[in-house]
Amino acid sequence: MSHQIRSATESDLEQIMLLEKSSFKNDAWSKANMRGELLAPHTFYVVAEENNNLVGYAGLSKISTSPSSDVQTIAVSEIHRGKGIGRDLMLSLLTFAEEQGAKEVFLEVREDKPTPQALYQSLGFMAIDRRENYYQPDGVAAIVMRLDLTNTIKSAPIVLGIETSCDETGIGIVQGTKLLANVISSSMDQHVRFGGVVPEIAARAHLEALESVLEKALEEAKISITDIDAVAVTNGPGLAGALMVGVGAAKALAVSLEKPIYAVNHLIAHVAVDILERGKLETPTVALLVSGGHTSLLLVRDILTDVELLGETVDDAAGEAFDKVARVLGLAYPGGPEIDKASKEGDPKAIKFPRGLSLPKDMEQNRYNFSFSGLKTAVARHVELAASKGEVISVPDVAASFREAVVDVLVSKAVNACLDNQVPRLILGGGVVANARLREVATARCQEAGIELRIPALSLCTDNGAMIASLGAQMVMGGLKPNNLDFGVYSTVDF
Amino acid sequence: MKQIFLAIDTSQGTSVAVLVGGKVVSEANDPNPMRHAENIGTLIASCVEQSGLKPAEITDVAVGVGPGPFTGLRVGIAAAKMFAAGSKATLHGVGSLDAIAFGLPLTEPTLVISDARRSEVYFGLYQGKSGSGIPKTLLVPGVSKQAQLEDRLQKQGQPYDLVQKPVAATAIGLLAIAQLSAGLAAPPIQANYLREPDATVANPKKVTG
Repeated sequence: MSHQIRSATESDLEQIMLLEKSSFKNDAWSKANMRGELLAPHTFYVVAEENNNLVGYAGLSKISTSPSSDVQTIAVSEIHRGKGIGRDLMLSLLTFAEEQGAKEVFLEVREDKPTPQALYQSLGFMAIDRRENYYQPDGVAAIVMRLDLTNTIKSAPIVLGIETSCDETGIGIVQGTKLLANVISSSMDQHVRFGGVVPEIAARAHLEALESVLEKALEEAKISITDIDAVAVTNGPGLAGALMVGVGAAKALAVSLEKPIYAVNHLIAHVAVDILERGKLETPTVALLVSGGHTSLLLVRDILTDVELLGETVDDAAGEAFDKVARVLGLAYPGGPEIDKASKEGDPKAIKFPRGLSLPKDMEQNRYNFSFSGLKTAVARHVELAASKGEVISVPDVAASFREAVVDVLVSKAVNACLDNQVPRLILGGGVVANARLREVATARCQEAGIELRIPALSLCTDNGAMIASLGAQMVMGGLKPNNLDFGVYSTVDF
Repeated sequence: MKQIFLAIDTSQGTSVAVLVGGKVVSEANDPNPMRHAENIGTLIASCVEQSGLKPAEITDVAVGVGPGPFTGLRVGIAAAKMFAAGSKATLHGVGSLDAIAFGLPLTEPTLVISDARRSEVYFGLYQGKSGSGIPKTLLVPGVSKQAQLEDRLQKQGQPYDLVQKPVAATAIGLLAIAQLSAGLAAPPIQANYLREPDATVANPKKVTG
């Protein structure tokens, strides 16, 4: 049975006193002193519980006007030692100190107690002084230790993420696993008349949008730019010219703030966004990422160290197919929402469009790969043949049948990937997740197959800076080394 | 308070400099016209480090706004914008060809050109300087085939010395300072592309015979 840490209340006093007396035989605090400490406005006390029994406690004092904080006391009941309870108590005190703006934390420890000294050292405390005869009546010396909070990896670092891989300029800010800001400026309107994203137009728009998006993100997060602990940036896959705007921006920002920089894979970041909603990522998980630029299936065993690309599209991305078919049907750009709308009145079984790479012969080489080019041609052929015969097509039927074919392939392959690899979870990501039918079919088939389906909020599914910041924060907290400043960008998938 | 400038130009290669009180204290260059995104962070960091200053001590950032090939040009401007945001410095835009002209005597009409790719050049025609040393422009920057440009100038009876040389970030910084002391409003921080994006409205092709 594992232990839990929570804030202490006055009702814990009796149990705390029992532990206090057994832990500090000759110099225990009195009950009145302990109550005073627990209730004082400048202290923070936590307790550890196991099976509803109090097995440890610890306290910290932090006066709001001072950059220093002191660990007042810590105790773990003798039979529960060696299980990491002391470490967890300390970590919750340190997190609190950090949140209160402490720059350093002090503590004293008995010179004749090597075990706690080792714990404090492992947390980054260093011995700075020795006080003779500090503990009375035993006459034992105290070692004074100090932790420099300005130089340690924080338990919840503030990370700013920059995303410019396609047509969305995104800046997100997270603190550990908590979302603080997610601001997006899209150049989509400028691409409408071209029927697809024009890379040069997207790149120009990124440069124009940078400053205002940054400003809004800082405002939304209610932080100052100098509060940032690390910068993360997408360096691929995506449009090279667009990526370079973000990379140039991120590098200069990191240098100006003297903070580390992390280059982030756009696809893996789509998975890391789930952490912002759930606090952590359940692994292993399969991820189906579908947008105007990507159609990929990932198997994630560990978000930092073990991500496998199971398959991807061999021609058009699914979102691209929606755009192209919308054009064939005389619908507006972007095609996804338009086809969704048109499909409402249509029969998804009206026309049997092909399912790309789904024949038995494809199952060996292309089991997890996608192809939408043949489907798009089949729709165009259907429309042209009807026109040549002077027949009027039903746009709703064609749209619904096309959408059904895309969704069927996407979900079938994703569910197969889960079942084949015995992975009970699937995460969706990318702009095409906005498609109502995709969410519907995925929900039904995952339920049937006993797979847990995760669909992040739509604002986190489309390209955004928060997902970049989230993966960046995982890299910082996981102790990964930052990138050197000389990294470049890459346009195609690179694992 | 002394003005401390970080100057950046990526209209050709990557050039970065730090100037303190109008004097250059460090400059770093990489002439490679294809590695701006890779180089920009390292060059800024090394220039600031060589200057012995902290990034937060920088009070002004000057950046070459082109003309120059788009992809590289944007890297420098994006970097300048974010460095200024991070160090809470004031941002200034400077014409990249103007900065080359700033370092020339300009006693004669001088045609400054740089590679615009696609067999064309970016150009500007300058002669003389104002009291604060700012080049006087005869022809504002444009883009053209070099032969056509020179042909046109000769037909107009316009004499000129032809100059093609790299932009040094130091000149970007010095010109920004000159513009400030002359009370000139810095040009807006907008990339001077001189070309529209290549984009055509696609028409779906027929797939049946």
